[in-house]
Order: sequence, then C-alpha cells, then structure tokens
Amino acid sequence: MSQATEEPEQLQEIGHDEYNPIGTLALIGLYFVILVLLWLFVYFVEFLGNDPTVIGAVLTMVGLQ
Amino acid sequence: MNIHTYEKVWLIAALLLIVGFIATITYGSVGLGIAMIDDSEETVEPSELDEDFGEPRVEHVGENEYEAYVIAQTFIFQPDPIEVPANSKVTFYVTSRDVIHSFSVVGTNINTMVIPGEVSTMTAEFDESGEYGIICNEYCGSFHHTMEGQLHVVPEDEFDMTELSVESDDEVELGNETTFNVAVENGMLDDLETTVTFEIGNETTEEEITVSGESTEETTFTVDSTELGEGDHDWTVTVDDYEESGTLTVVEDLEEEEENGGNNDE
Amino acid sequence: MSNAYIDKFPAEAKVVKAAFYSSFLALALGGVFGVIQTLHRTDIYRFIDSADYYTVLTAHGVFMVITFTIFFLVGVFTWAVTTSLDRGVEDIRFTWSWVGLMTIGTVMAGVAILAGFVDSIDISASVLFTFYAPLQAHPLFYLGLVLFVVGTWVAGADWFRSWWAWKKENPDARIPLPTFMVLTTMIMWYIATMGVATSILVFLLPWSLGWIETVNPLLTRTLFWFFGHPVVYFWLMPAYLLWYTMLPKFAGGKLFSDPLARVGFVLFLLLSTPVGIHHQYLDPGIAEGFKFIAMTNTMFLLLPSFLTAFTVVASIEHGARQRGGTGYFSWLKSLPWRDPVFAGMALAGLLFAAAGFSGMVNAGMNINYLVHNSLWVVGHFHLTVGTAVALTFMAVSYWFIPQVTGKELWNRSVALIQVVLWFIGMTFMTNSMHRAGLIGMPRRTAEPQYTGFEFETAVGSVGELNAQIALGGVLLTLSLVLFFANIIGTAFGSRSDNLPDNGYAEALSGSDDAPRVLDNLKLWTAIAVVLVIIAYSLPLMSIVDRGGLFGPDITAFPANLESVRFLAFAVEHLGTAALESAGTLAWNTLPEVIR
Repeated sequence: MSQATEEPEQLQEIGHDEYNPIGTLALIGLYFVILVLLWLFVYFVEFLGNDPTVIGAVLTMVGLQ
Repeated sequence: MNIHTYEKVWLIAALLLIVGFIATITYGSVGLGIAMIDDSEETVEPSELDEDFGEPRVEHVGENEYEAYVIAQTFIFQPDPIEVPANSKVTFYVTSRDVIHSFSVVGTNINTMVIPGEVSTMTAEFDESGEYGIICNEYCGSFHHTMEGQLHVVPEDEFDMTELSVESDDEVELGNETTFNVAVENGMLDDLETTVTFEIGNETTEEEITVSGESTEETTFTVDSTELGEGDHDWTVTVDDYEESGTLTVVEDLEEEEENGGNNDE
Repeated sequence: MSNAYIDKFPAEAKVVKAAFYSSFLALALGGVFGVIQTLHRTDIYRFIDSADYYTVLTAHGVFMVITFTIFFLVGVFTWAVTTSLDRGVEDIRFTWSWVGLMTIGTVMAGVAILAGFVDSIDISASVLFTFYAPLQAHPLFYLGLVLFVVGTWVAGADWFRSWWAWKKENPDARIPLPTFMVLTTMIMWYIATMGVATSILVFLLPWSLGWIETVNPLLTRTLFWFFGHPVVYFWLMPAYLLWYTMLPKFAGGKLFSDPLARVGFVLFLLLSTPVGIHHQYLDPGIAEGFKFIAMTNTMFLLLPSFLTAFTVVASIEHGARQRGGTGYFSWLKSLPWRDPVFAGMALAGLLFAAAGFSGMVNAGMNINYLVHNSLWVVGHFHLTVGTAVALTFMAVSYWFIPQVTGKELWNRSVALIQVVLWFIGMTFMTNSMHRAGLIGMPRRTAEPQYTGFEFETAVGSVGELNAQIALGGVLLTLSLVLFFANIIGTAFGSRSDNLPDNGYAEALSGSDDAPRVLDNLKLWTAIAVVLVIIAYSLPLMSIVDRGGLFGPDITAFPANLESVRFLAFAVEHLGTAALESAGTLAWNTLPEVIR
C-alpha cells in the first residue's frame, strides 16, 4: 500500500532569488481578462438588459407635486 | 518586506479591478439612476395595516404615474393580479402582514425583501405591455413554494380603472316601478366619458355619462313592471368592457315582508 | 517508528480525530439531505412532501455549514497550533471540554431540526440556516447553537493559552505562520459572533421561551448578517491556512511569501465583519449610504483573496519548477496530479477562482436586484463553502486521517476518483444554478415551477438546467460514498510505521522578512473593532430608532408549542440555580481573594 502523499520527486532546488513565478503571472493575467469580460457581460448585458429596473423614487416624488 | 515584482503588478491590477467594480456600480446609481430600496418610508404596524397602509390597491397619481400598494402574507400577494398600463411609471409600496417575504417580479430587476413593520418602495418604468409572474423568494413557511402573483402590464388603450356596480331589486310587484341604481367609479385622474347601456327584456336604454377623475357617477334606470309582464326578466348593464347582469322577477303579489328587495350588488 | 502527528502528540491526536469524525458524521447527514433535496426540487424523484422540504433544507444547511465545517476546522486549528508551536495543549481536559460543548450543542440543535419530521413531537426548527424572525424555532435549537458557539469560544481560548505559554518561553520569536493564522481567524470569530450571540441571547431565545412578546425582525436579521458574512470566512480561513501551509508542500515547493500570507490574514481580520450589510442590499429600513459603505468594504475584501490566489499559485509553481516544470503553462503538467491530496486541493482552488467571479457580482450593490435570493447565490456558495472549503477538507483528510490515527490510507485511487467526482459534480450543479439564477429562479423553494408563469431561458431550457443540477447532486453523493468508504476503510486498518512526517511547508521568503507590526495582534484587534463600530453603529441605531428594540406587534410562526413551556420552566429554574451557585461561590471565594 502506498502512502497518502508520497514525497514528490524533486529534481532541483530553486532558491528565493532565482525563482520568478512567470507561470503564475501568466495564469493570473488570464484570470484577470476573464474577470473583466465576465463582469462587463453580467453587468451590461444580463443586468441592464433585464428591464424594468428600479429607478430613483425621489425623481418620481418630485414629479408628483 | 520585499514583494516580488510580479506580485506587485498583480496587486495593482487587483486594485484597479476593485476600483473598476465600484466605478461600474456607481455609474449604475448616478449615471443610470438605479436606486436601492432604502429607509425613505415610515414604519407601519403589521397588525394595523388597514390604518397605516390601507387596502391593497393601485392608484393613478399623475400622468402615466401609478402607485401600487401591495401586501404580502403567507402565502399570497394582494392585489392579485396587479394591473398597470404600458408606458407608465409605477411606484410599488410593499409590506408584510406576518413574516419576512420577498416581492420579486420574475425576469426583471424589480426585487425586494418584504419585512414586517417596514415598507419597501421602488419605482419602475414599464414601456411595453406583458405579463409577469411575481414570486416570494424568501422562505416564509411550509407553503412558501405556492406563494406567487401576477403583474399585468396591459396596453395603454385597454387600461382603465373603472368599476361598475348595480343596485336593484330581485322582485317587483306587477304594476309597480323598480329602479336600477348604477354606479360607475373612475379611479383614473382624467375624466371618463362613456356610455352606460341597460338592457332588460327587449328594451335597451343608453345614457352618456362623464365621470370625473377619482370619483363615482351614479345613474338610475327606471323600469315599469307592467310593460315587462309577469315572470323572470334578464337584465344587463354594460360600461365599456364591464358588465353586470341579473334577473328581475315580476310577481303578482309581493309577500308580506316589505322592502324585502335584496340587492344585486357585486 | 514514524514521525507522524500521533507519535508526537498522542493525546491531541485523539481530540483532532474526534473533531474530524464528528464533522464527517455531519457531512454524511448533510449529504443525505442534500441528495433528497436536489432530486425533490428538480422533480426527478420525490418521496417527501413539499412542506417537509424546508426541514430537509434546514438540516442540510446547518449540518453542512455549521457542524461539518466548524468541527473540521477546530481539528485543523488544534493540529496547526500544536504542530507549529511544537507543544501540546496546556490542559487536555480543558480541550475535551470544548469538544463536549460543541457536541452537546450540535445534538440539541440537530434534535430540534429532525423532530420537525415527526408530527407527534411538537418540536421543530424548520427555520433554515438563517432563522429569520418572525419564523420561530423551538428554544432547543437556539440553545444548541449557543452551546456550540460557546464551545468554539473556549476552543479559541485554548489556542490562545498555548500561544501565551509559548510566548513566555520564546519572547522574541515570530509567531509561527499556522498559529498566526489560527489566532487572527479566532479574533475575527470572537468579534463576529457578538452579533449572533446578541441576536439569540437577547432576543430570539427569550422570545421563543415566551419571556418577551415580540422582536424587531430587521434588527435580528441585521445582527444575523453581522455574523453571517464573517462566518463564511471562518469556514474559508482554515482552507486558506491549508492552501498556504500545506499545499506548497504537497506540490513539492515552498510557500512563496510568509509576510504576504500574514498580510492576507490581517486584512481578513479587519474586513470580514464590517461588510454584512451586503446581504441586505434589498432590505427596506436601511439607508442606501450604509449599503454603499458595506459594498466598498466588501470590494476591498477581495484584495486578500486576490493576494492569496497569487501567493498560493506561485508556491505551487515553485513546486512544479523544482520538479522540472518549464514554460508559461506547461509547468502545470509537472504537478503531482495523481496525488489525491494535491489534486483535491488544487481543484478546489480552481473552482474557488470561479466562485470569485460570482462573489464579485454578489458584492455589487445595484446588480443585486438581478441575483438576490436567486439560485445564483446557491451556485456561488456551493463553489465557496461547498467546494473550496469542503473539497479541500476532504482532500486534506487523506493526509490528516493517517496522521491522527497512525493508519495508512485505505485506497489512494478511490481517493483520487472521489475528489475528481466532486469537482465534476460541482461543475454541473453550480454552472446550472448560476444560469438558473440569472433567469430569476429562486433559491429555497421546494418546487421547480410555478402555476401562473414559466421561467424563460435564452439558451438551453429549464429542463436541462434541472437535469444538470440533479446530475451534479447524484455525482456529489457518489463522491461522498467513496469518501466514507475510504475513511471507514482507513479507520479499520492497522497501525503503520510507514507514514509521512508531520509538518508544514517552509517559506521561500520567511517570517524574518515580515514587518514585526504584523504580529501585533492587539493593534489589529483594535482596528478591527473600530471598523466594525464605524460600519455598524449608525445602521443599528437607525434600525432600533425606526422599529424599536423589540419591534412591531408581530406573531411568531409557527405558534408557541406545549413543550416550550416545560423548557422555559427548566431554563428559568436552571438559570436561577446557576446564578445562586455562582453567587455562593463568589461569596465564598471573595474573602480568600481579598486576603
């Protein structure tokens, strides 16, 4: 039977100064783009396209006078 | 503390994203005028809604402007359906008689919590006619899933707030006259010009009336039972799309009880 | 002889094991109610009344997000404190006392909820996880919750005690990262639970016992959300702790930055509580300005999560690079995807990224008109607590259970299938819930359709959405079955000497690099309290001013029950007795103290 977590085989030791998380930057950059696009879609298409929407009651009250 | 350049880049991007989200919402509020449910209404006593809030109803309050007073309670909305015309601006006032509910018009952004003691108010514009479902989306008890209502936005030219009621006798003694009191209520602010049509037997009488805004006009039709003759006679009162009808019985001798005429009021 | 947790801390391992097993029992119950619910609501298979659906829903909610999550996290926190301070608890009887309190609390609340199925017992608590008044539960439910929360408070005191004792011996040392995370989370929890404690002790419990006539529904609701948002961080923080301190190790790397991990937890401590009003964007009686402030705080609460995303992914990438990974994206292939612990936690993190998006929408003020109380929200929290937290906990159990039992995991392949199944099941269930929410389908209802109108989809159909939800639910149930098979299989195994060492990930940029002020817990506590006061004092004053402390004239639903009177008598009696004995005790000890 094997262990729950085997010690991962390590090929090299990478220290603090020689490590640049470029892959992380790439992944998270992609995430950023997805977030922006989804936000624009959900706010401007799904939400604003879901009329009627609640508008300022104050304006109406003024109109009533 | 040294932060890796890439992480600094991401932190700045994340802050921009956060500011961008807040800016979008602010644009919705300020630029598009989307208002939140707030504390602008006075509180009410849920056990005394008749005084504090009044009957569930729709009121015409200005040109193309309406107010709907809605009461949510386990497990219904009143009035049901809520009827308003297209091309109108409607302000909803919603409160609860018992537990927390919601008032959510499906497929729209009209959505509020309904909390006993508080009145939710929101204004929306309805440009086109259509029928919407209203649901309660806050759990309110064992039959929560049955709590629904309707919002009917009817075409502008088909919309009115007319109510017709007729008071009349059921029976009349042969040879006597009987009267039909017709009341036409106009809930709109504008005057209503219309025709009241009264039919009994083969006879049709018409009367032009003008009902001023937010008032009731009464008119009377008098019938001579001799002309009708003994027996049952169906009658109908029609105003626009509204109709009241009933049967008048002409008898030879009315029973001893006087003033026994029941009314036929709906 | 191995160097597992049980070898070093045998007594504490028993506590952690008890906490884990309690949480798994809740998970099993919650799972059963979950599948009943998903099949009923989608109208695929039903055997209960729709009226009973809400009892099922209450049980699913409370067992999953209160009992399962919190029992598991007290286990993790006990492990984290003892391991990182390298010392056992100060007094094991004290430790067992909070386990006992939490257990009694759970049993009381659980009995009150489950009795709702039996008509002949006049006890019920079908009030859902949020227990909004004027819906009223049996007092047993509120009492159970109180004992449970008090149990967690005592647990926190236990961990603080360990830290104080450790600090005396190590006056100049930095707080080890796992302990730092536990302590900041617990401070947040103490602040947050003030809301629910006030709501229950001052209003709901006396009201359910018939001692006060009415409550202010908006006030108790606001106090609930004072607690109700930070509680989600209480579930999430242990998952973050595991992502920061364990996941890098499983990936074969080191934590990218210890100081930024501390910054993240300090931000959570500061910002988790003054945001609860974002659950009340559509509540009448709260001014728009307060809602806007809550939104701003909520949006900035995204920052520590964004920070975590980078730091954790960079730590994983470090592991991949050390394992020979290259390129912008192809390093992902060098990760130990066949390890169920790593795979489960990483998949949980991936779905949490998706949850991040729906969370941003939930945080937005006016866009709440679109999603409030719709299935969108249910989709969101099945990604957060249902996956980011639950899947991380299940996956890490495959490491923890051998540590606290001293037994090898029964079957690694089954474990891998289990975590992948959970990921797939949740993907089906939550994507369709989000879509259903956008077309206005509500949460918390027993029926998929109404009689007067139909839900309209732009893409796909309502039937397809329901089918996806049900399919997801079935896959999740299968996943749970595999999970329990593995846990039971492991529990019945025999002791092994071949276990991985206990420990957590080292850091690339260590605590020496972190400004000392980060460890100043008093400072952060003070700022957190000030922020809460700023965010909540005016709204609460306004709510009390409008509706009164005890609210309008309202009736409780359902109406008061027979058994309540007995309980009211018992509580009153016990309360008086307790006060008397406390008084006697004080009277007797006071002279000694003065002397």
